[in-house]
Amino acid sequence: MRYIPNTEEQKKEMLKEIGVSTFEDLIESIPQNLQLKDKLNIPEAISESELEDKIFHIAKKNADFNSMKPLIGAGSYRHFIPEAVKFLLQREEFWTCYTPYQPELSQGTLQSIFEYQSYISRLTKMEVIIPSIYDGASATAEAALMSLRLTHKNKIIVSNLLHPHYRETVKTYLAPHETEIIDLPYKNGLVDMEKLKILIEEDAASIIIQSPNFFGGIENMAKISEIVHSKNILLINVIVESMSLGILKAPGDTGADIVAGNAQSFGMDLNYGGPYNAYLGTRKQYIRQLPGRIVGETVDIDGKRVFVMTLRAREQDIRREKATSNICTNHNLNVLAANIFLSLMGTEGLYQISLLNAKSAHYLENLLLKSGKFEKVFNYPFYHEFLLKSKEDISTVNKKLLENNFIPPLKICEFYQAGNLKNVLLFAVTETLSRDHLNNTAKILSE
Amino acid sequence: MKLIFEKSVKGREGYSLPQDLFDDIKIEECLPEYAISKDKKILSEVSEVDVVRHFTKLSKLNYGLDDGFYPLGSCTMKYNPKINEKLASLSNFIYAHPFAPENTVQGCLEIAYDLNKLLCEITGMDEYTMAPAAGAHGELTGILIMRKYFVDRGDIRHKMLIPDSAHGTNPASAAMGGFQVVEVKSNEKGTVNLKELAELMDEDTVGLMLTNPNTVGLFDEGIEEIEKIVHHKGGLLYYDGANLNASLGIIRPGDAGFDIVHLNLHKTFSTPHGGGGPGAGVIGVKKDLIPYLPTPNVAFNSHQNKYYLSDAGEKSIGMVRAFWANFSVLVKTYAWILSMGPDGLYNASKTSIINANYLLTKLKKYYKPAYDRYCGHECTVTGKEYKKYGVKTLDIAKRIMDYGMHPPTIYFPHFEPYAEETIMVEPTESESKETLDKFIDIMIKISDEAKTNPELLTTAPHITPIRRTNDALAVKRVILTYDDELKLKDELNYTNENIEF
Repeated sequence: MRYIPNTEEQKKEMLKEIGVSTFEDLIESIPQNLQLKDKLNIPEAISESELEDKIFHIAKKNADFNSMKPLIGAGSYRHFIPEAVKFLLQREEFWTCYTPYQPELSQGTLQSIFEYQSYISRLTKMEVIIPSIYDGASATAEAALMSLRLTHKNKIIVSNLLHPHYRETVKTYLAPHETEIIDLPYKNGLVDMEKLKILIEEDAASIIIQSPNFFGGIENMAKISEIVHSKNILLINVIVESMSLGILKAPGDTGADIVAGNAQSFGMDLNYGGPYNAYLGTRKQYIRQLPGRIVGETVDIDGKRVFVMTLRAREQDIRREKATSNICTNHNLNVLAANIFLSLMGTEGLYQISLLNAKSAHYLENLLLKSGKFEKVFNYPFYHEFLLKSKEDISTVNKKLLENNFIPPLKICEFYQAGNLKNVLLFAVTETLSRDHLNNTAKILSE
Repeated sequence: MKLIFEKSVKGREGYSLPQDLFDDIKIEECLPEYAISKDKKILSEVSEVDVVRHFTKLSKLNYGLDDGFYPLGSCTMKYNPKINEKLASLSNFIYAHPFAPENTVQGCLEIAYDLNKLLCEITGMDEYTMAPAAGAHGELTGILIMRKYFVDRGDIRHKMLIPDSAHGTNPASAAMGGFQVVEVKSNEKGTVNLKELAELMDEDTVGLMLTNPNTVGLFDEGIEEIEKIVHHKGGLLYYDGANLNASLGIIRPGDAGFDIVHLNLHKTFSTPHGGGGPGAGVIGVKKDLIPYLPTPNVAFNSHQNKYYLSDAGEKSIGMVRAFWANFSVLVKTYAWILSMGPDGLYNASKTSIINANYLLTKLKKYYKPAYDRYCGHECTVTGKEYKKYGVKTLDIAKRIMDYGMHPPTIYFPHFEPYAEETIMVEPTESESKETLDKFIDIMIKISDEAKTNPELLTTAPHITPIRRTNDALAVKRVILTYDDELKLKDELNYTNENIEF
């Protein structure tokens, strides 16, 4: 077997050195009746070339996604990834190393995480960044748990326009803690401010608001913050599309106490749902209640500036059941991807791409409205995702798009049964769609 | 090394933009004032060349598995086959949107479905969920399944039993699942103390979380008795698969009576660690627990000959993440199992056990074993004999770096009186006898140095890119971003030598 260097001869020699005559002697502590008598009933080994053929064949059962353009986002966005990101990421020193417990051999990983924390801190205007939670949904759940610890209260208000998967995940994580979850309804595609004022009571630990929300709408976070903070409640600002931070106000500037953000747009492929990455941001005063790993700066004995995992007294390997979270392995390679991506984009690049996303989305919305085949559902400000009601049956619409190599938009009624959202589609537009693509979309749907 | 921010030059570009920037659309006319940021967010300004050089240089400060021996105990740092990376990055996979119509993602679903069946056979379980993103995430998922199972039966239980040798994630996950953690002490043989287990296991206890071989690397020979004790009180037996690399084709947790198992695909199943993830911590269960698995899961409709994502029923614990899995990790796992076959898997475990016992045999004269008996795929020795020379296990680990290898896991597990100053070595099947012999030579040399020149160890490492770090200072000063550093610029007063190396 090419992945196992020791030959049978060497193994025999080693057994002799160990002082046993057979391998079985080494596993005698496993009860005989539990030891497998037959070999595993799985397919016999295949060669590397047979493996390649097999997986190529299976991959072909997918659509030819290389030649398709998504008109869908809903928490997973196709942005262009410069080749340098993937090229650098695959360096074995990054790809095959472990969690950086030994800083002397891991400065590459540690410094990269520190740089990423710095970038996200500037993008979100939050003082402290936990760089790596598995994904946006679990990060939101961790933020919710953190708010319970910070306030010792047991009620959380959740916007109905938080990504449905994030809402479900929060519910799952909170189930053992008997937390009351209050649903905050929407109005005109944004949080219902009047309902918010009524629902908000001082016994709530926190409120979770996504902006841009699941319908793409940009919430007035400053106004929400004012209402929320008048009752001494923590504001958790969820960002599912971090590319929006290039042009939109930073959550730290609009009153967020905790930010949970999905970083997939920063250099991560769609990958049929994962792995992605998410960050958490907060103020320094809440630092002891943060879950997960963080990197800090210090010096080595020669006075060099170096980076180490720090504030570790919150973590599971030290605190066990008293830890702030069970997080151990996380998504550090995705952090690296995001760091390289943001380094390439820089100040101006991120701003321009972020702006382009918003502009091209508004261009498509305009075009589709002009076609007469769609109408507005809400009159709301949106970033790069928007709802439109189709006059034609949406299954027919999506079929046409699929036939023309577009991954069709999301049928919103799959997630929102109430509120007359039948025949409504959630479109997403990124910089990967050119004006030709968008014109073509409108043309296909006008016919 | 200089930070990317310190290489920034105003006006420098590392990006390219499409020609058409839709200048006909005025964003100020589309969006209200409250939405748009007045200033650009300041990142860095570097060229693509700068970025490539920066990260290449950073990478050289790291030590990866492809550089050499990486014997971290309980981490299973085995070789990551290169073909698997290529297969996981096929454009039909990486550009597949998680909400793409089912008929466009039949390939993805087939892999997940097939892998589910393979993992069931390898571990003796009835069904897997691919959802959990990491081992600890899998633990939480498994614990929530246990919780829901008892709640549904109207049998409210509050406690979870966890051996003192368990990973920290076990008690942390149990606490997140709302359970009170009760620690079970290890016996003089390093395994679960059956008498104590029988006393602690009661009808207020959901069950026991067990790693087998345990974190000292020892097979728990009392496994059948443990199973009886836990099940007799109606409890469930949870298998932490961190150490499954000792079991492939030898013993299946499902046959030993485990009700729930989690597997770390980034350990036993060869997917890379990436400096701390992404991995996948898939969960397998026995039949009775299938309805509690998270939603959605991959299913097959034999009438239509189609794979689909099915919503679990109302008993499901719900979702534990967005979408449904770390898909690219699944592709690599699938590819590895197909390459290994049944004989390859057995060979992997067999070789890793022989390798670990060979190391134990050769090292025990110099480093006392925590328990003097045959081990599984990893062995635990201690450095406590060297305390009298003023040398700690930490010093031994740091000195290993000077000889060009990554140190083993240290100070874990830790429980008195057996496991103090521990050094846990997991060689995996990927290491040749020559590599092991070289490591043994290094360890013997270090033991000699500890006695004759302890300062060589206490000041080690000497030739790594950086040397020992002041961790206490990091906690005291709390510099977590470049902006934190800028605020303390005068106080820090770094010279060029301090930051350029």
